[in-house]
Amino acid sequence: MRRPFLSRLAGGLALVSLALCLASAALFFLGRIPEATFKLGFLLASIAWFVLAAGGKMAGRDEGPTG
Amino acid sequence: MSERIGRLTAAMDRLYEYDREPVSPDKLQSGGKFAGLFAGEHVAATEFVIGAFFVLHGVGARDLILGLLIGNLLAVLSWTFICAPIAVRTRLTLYWYLRKIVGPGVTFVYNIANALLYCVLAGAMISVSATAVGLLFGIPVPKLGSVLPSSLGWVLITVALGAAFTAVAILGFSKLSRFAEVAAPWIFVVFVAGALAALPRLGVTPDLGNLWEVAATRIWDGVAEAGQAKYGFWHVLSFAWFCNLAMHVGLSDMALFRYARKWTYGLYSAFGMFPGHMLAWLASGVMVAAIGRELHPGLMAYEAVGVAGIAGVTLAGWTTANPTLYRAGLALQAVTPGWPRWKITLVAGTATTVLASFPVFFLKLLDYVAVYGLVLMPVGAIVFAEHWLFPLLKIEQYRAEKRGWTFNVAALAVWLGTLAVVFALPLHLYFRWLPGWVIALVSYTALAAARRSR
Repeated sequence: MRRPFLSRLAGGLALVSLALCLASAALFFLGRIPEATFKLGFLLASIAWFVLAAGGKMAGRDEGPTG
Repeated sequence: MSERIGRLTAAMDRLYEYDREPVSPDKLQSGGKFAGLFAGEHVAATEFVIGAFFVLHGVGARDLILGLLIGNLLAVLSWTFICAPIAVRTRLTLYWYLRKIVGPGVTFVYNIANALLYCVLAGAMISVSATAVGLLFGIPVPKLGSVLPSSLGWVLITVALGAAFTAVAILGFSKLSRFAEVAAPWIFVVFVAGALAALPRLGVTPDLGNLWEVAATRIWDGVAEAGQAKYGFWHVLSFAWFCNLAMHVGLSDMALFRYARKWTYGLYSAFGMFPGHMLAWLASGVMVAAIGRELHPGLMAYEAVGVAGIAGVTLAGWTTANPTLYRAGLALQAVTPGWPRWKITLVAGTATTVLASFPVFFLKLLDYVAVYGLVLMPVGAIVFAEHWLFPLLKIEQYRAEKRGWTFNVAALAVWLGTLAVVFALPLHLYFRWLPGWVIALVSYTALAAARRSR
């Protein structure tokens, strides 16, 4: 069953996660956060990306009459 | 023999039957689809190796940036002016268009060559993933110049990964394709974030004031590693141009562009070239310099972004090896009529896994990419000649189809003859394809013209 709102919400949050991946690297480059924090932040934001992007795709997919 | 060839080509035709008819207008796709497709397809595991090799081959920073800019622009123009126009005019895949021109026998040979080349490429991608997974188990990566497996651990890890990739390709290729769509943007972010995070280690200050100085003296310093040939601007330009030679000049991306509304959609290939074949290559160069120029994609990504980097390299190999395995299986299915898809994928996967355990294929990836393009390039020249030059010179087109030839002997002779000439040319491997393409174009046209005058 298609859930356009959930799909859009998850897609938007997934993009935020991807931006967080880049932001954590930028903050480390600028010396604002230590390396360990950057790597942990990157890992968590990456997991969030996969969960939200895959979830968004699933919510947006039309499973057909039996789905 | 001819009966056997007839059976094989009939089986091959059945495999590709679904795209035998030209694409109808209602199936045409928007430009955005092409941009997305190219952006997702050209950030692969091999980018970790290619960018790093430019550092090891001692390319200077200025040569690299200029070479990548111009070479990738030439690749985009090749898609736009060579591949897309033929695809849009015919609305056919290369397979079916080639069949009209060279006959089913030569198309069959082309398919087999393509399948074998795909297996080697997928093997290289598995090897790249193995460098990441091996890191978890402390398995050393084979040294530059290695041909044979360096340790039992390396063999075990490549066999395990090859078996896993093959199993997934058999059990759920379509699911993995959807997963690959999700993974592609993140893999690109791994490259960009990895390079950004590696810069402080190389001494780049947060205000970027010394970025160029570090790039030119600590990353692309113009000094080749021991045992590696020195490359310069022309090598980089040529490599960036021919990296996807089989797809643009070799015309295999007719399969994509037959869905384009206009031939100018070839320009959308820039969305794959500049992020994937420029930014990702530059990023992997930064990462390899940051770990002391050791060609170890797993370590490069791990040092740069941590555990996520190991996942990034593994996924990059996995998501790109699988479609390659699938294509190899599809091409190989032609020689095994009646075999189910799983059995063919198993054969292709087994061959690929064996190849992956030989590190030479990923340690010589740049040369392999050149050979891959060279082998298939003459076929693109033959199709180009038949499509554009024959009507101009009033030479009859599609004689193989009209006369029911199994083999267009002239085309086969030009293909093999061109390969013999290009492999004998006293030029660097990277510079042979362009004269080869001209040789194939001129000799195929000349043979057809001579036949007409007789």
